[in-house]
Amino acid sequence: MTTMTTLTSQPAVLLRRVLISIALFVAVGSQPACADEADTTRDAILNDPAAPVAGNPKGDLTIVTFFDYNCPFCKKAEPNLERLVKADGKIRLVYKDWPILTEASVTGAQLVLAAKYQGKYDVAHQALMNIPGTKISAEQMREAIKASGIDMDRMDADLAAHSDEITALLRRNLAQADAIGLQGTPGYLIGQYKVTSALNYNGFKRAVADARALAAKR
Amino acid sequence: MPRIRLHRIVIFLLAFFIGVPVSAQSGNPPPADQVFSLTASRSTEGGLQLDWRIAPGDYLYRDKIAAKTAAGETVAITTPPGQIKDDPTFGTTEIYHDHVQADIAATDLPAGEVVIIYQGCAERGICYPPVRKRIDLAAMTVTNGAAADPLGDIEAAVPNQSPVGSPANVSASSDGISATTRLLSGHVAAMLAAFFGFGLLLSFTPCVFPMIPILSGILARSGEHLSAKRGFVLSAAYVLAMALAYAALGVAAAWSGQNLQIALQTPLALGAISFVFVALALSMFGLYDLQLPASWAERLSAGAAGNRGSIGGAALLGFGSALIVGPCVTPPLAAALLYVAQTGDLARGAAALFALGLGMGVPLLAFGTFGAGLLPKSGPWLVRIKHVFGFGFIAMAVWMLSRVTPEWLTFELWGACLIGLGLYLGAASIFSKKSWCNCHVGPETLGAIILACGALLLFGSISGNDLLRSLPIFNSLRTNDEVAGGEFQTVTSLATFDAAMATARVTGKPVLLDFSANWCVECKIVDRNVFGDKTVRERMRDVVLIRADMTDYNDDSRALMQRFNVVGPPTMIFLDAQAGQEIPETRTVGPVDADTFIGKIASARGS
Repeated sequence: MTTMTTLTSQPAVLLRRVLISIALFVAVGSQPACADEADTTRDAILNDPAAPVAGNPKGDLTIVTFFDYNCPFCKKAEPNLERLVKADGKIRLVYKDWPILTEASVTGAQLVLAAKYQGKYDVAHQALMNIPGTKISAEQMREAIKASGIDMDRMDADLAAHSDEITALLRRNLAQADAIGLQGTPGYLIGQYKVTSALNYNGFKRAVADARALAAKR
Repeated sequence: MPRIRLHRIVIFLLAFFIGVPVSAQSGNPPPADQVFSLTASRSTEGGLQLDWRIAPGDYLYRDKIAAKTAAGETVAITTPPGQIKDDPTFGTTEIYHDHVQADIAATDLPAGEVVIIYQGCAERGICYPPVRKRIDLAAMTVTNGAAADPLGDIEAAVPNQSPVGSPANVSASSDGISATTRLLSGHVAAMLAAFFGFGLLLSFTPCVFPMIPILSGILARSGEHLSAKRGFVLSAAYVLAMALAYAALGVAAAWSGQNLQIALQTPLALGAISFVFVALALSMFGLYDLQLPASWAERLSAGAAGNRGSIGGAALLGFGSALIVGPCVTPPLAAALLYVAQTGDLARGAAALFALGLGMGVPLLAFGTFGAGLLPKSGPWLVRIKHVFGFGFIAMAVWMLSRVTPEWLTFELWGACLIGLGLYLGAASIFSKKSWCNCHVGPETLGAIILACGALLLFGSISGNDLLRSLPIFNSLRTNDEVAGGEFQTVTSLATFDAAMATARVTGKPVLLDFSANWCVECKIVDRNVFGDKTVRERMRDVVLIRADMTDYNDDSRALMQRFNVVGPPTMIFLDAQAGQEIPETRTVGPVDADTFIGKIASARGS
């Protein structure tokens, strides 16, 4: 079963759910008055240079995903989102590691962000998102990353060398999630829309279409 | 064709009204603290009993419920078996819906306080971060624990100090909403009684006076012989319809989610209402008789066989009258509407406002039933009373306008009013042969004093004299800017707010964000009672003050309100300058007194 339990496949119900769960993402200060300080402007959220990006970097629509490696709904929604990004071809996907659920989540986020320095963020990310469950320990996460073929020594060295950068990025992510009013994981920004619950494939697809339609209107 | 089109329009409108608030409410899930509400009590065996109320559609994890001492040592806690949730992505978990009770045995309880941690998700697809609550074991109060910083460990930051909980926070669900709004969440009967009482009190204010000529108009037209029974029926129809109008207002608020208070407070609406009051005043002075337009009266009485038409007419006028006095009852109305709009609880909000309307109607009912007996006999006495009402109406008009007019103009108007009153009293005493009241101070003396006050106001404000400000009596007329405005940095949009926060972050001081507006009467009361308070000013010395000015209610100000989930001014929130987020338990909605606010400052400082 890959679809969400709360999202039935009936189109009418689905439409309603999507309508219900998306709300306009109010631009968070379009003009940063003080670029060094304002980490939570819309621009900072969409274009944080340290945040990992997937999909089409020049796509016409940006999706920002806020997630936790112990969040079951994030894990359920993840394959749907990745599939849509691939199928669509014009979506830019920004990852925001937002470790708020468990202590191990923080460790997981650190490890995965350290893997970015060897160009393997997506590999490590997928490895952790693929472990089902809500109580994955830091050790289990480490094992899964190791099994995915990441150079563990290099990852540890990068983590030690870039610890401050990684923490600063996580700190920014926390502030950004707060600024846009997210209450829990997962949270998505899909164009101008803020989506505050997990979606299935058609849900994402519809939200993307709506976001593009809205962008075209403006 | 037209019929089909009409159908479409109706369906569109229905979808609009039903669909919009639903998405607005579910678009942003409520924070975990609201979804899981915790209360603590002493169990019969002397242990600690913990009760969670879990909102529909949400659940708590059994294995995420934990208890710790203040020092962080684990405390044994007994939880009942939960529902087994087995799902490929979730693994097997035990969860609780609706309600759960956990216990800590007396022997396991630490001294002083215990920290409870719990966590859960919403079925719609969102998981909440852990919630931490501190329980004072002596007072059995539940306060917010130090906000868990997920990155605290890896940064090895200085550990957060425990917040100083204010004693007012008696349960986990208390989040600083004003007393009136909290009242609404109590027992339905108590709530209805309270609103009925409010209404009764309001009926003794001048707000209800405009209704009396309208009601007497109905009664007068009802026939030559007005029996008490007939009077009762007519005035009952009038009062019921009036109460229904308020109930409708409540429903509209719940549906629209918009702040009706704001709608009622636009310069245009206020100007119109002031105009109505001036018109009423002029009629009181005898310039013309206030009667319903003849055509209305005809239509109302022309209905089917006498009786029914008149009752319908009474009801119609009752409904309309509610809108006339609407702005006058703003404070309780706004509290009820705020609550209704926030919760979307149609039935409760409508019932509260209905009770309010009924309360306001009771004296009218008495008047309608025993009208003849209660009506004072005509004569110079009655004329004078009418004149007094006239001045009252003028004062109402000025008071209402003062929310939007600049300060100098307000002073001018008050001055003109007082001069008018002074001249009237002087003239009255000159033309009447003997004193018409038994006061020790003759009306001419009183008139002269009032005249002098009026002149002082009028000319004082023209010359910009500081003399006015030195008079304590005029303190009550002072506006926002004078009391506290100088220290506030005013922002009107997210961009200016972010800039102000960036500056605040450098100072490292906590931030007070005050949502205020020139048209907001309660805001002025807060300014006077809270920011005018010496202790408050002292305690606020190292707080950065940012005022979100909602005077121009536009997209920018709405965006600011949305960012902080604010329904309307006055709302005050303390923010942590570093994280840029709200400090829990520090929000105040509606008018607050200095003592409550000092408690909030303590909470903000403690975190």
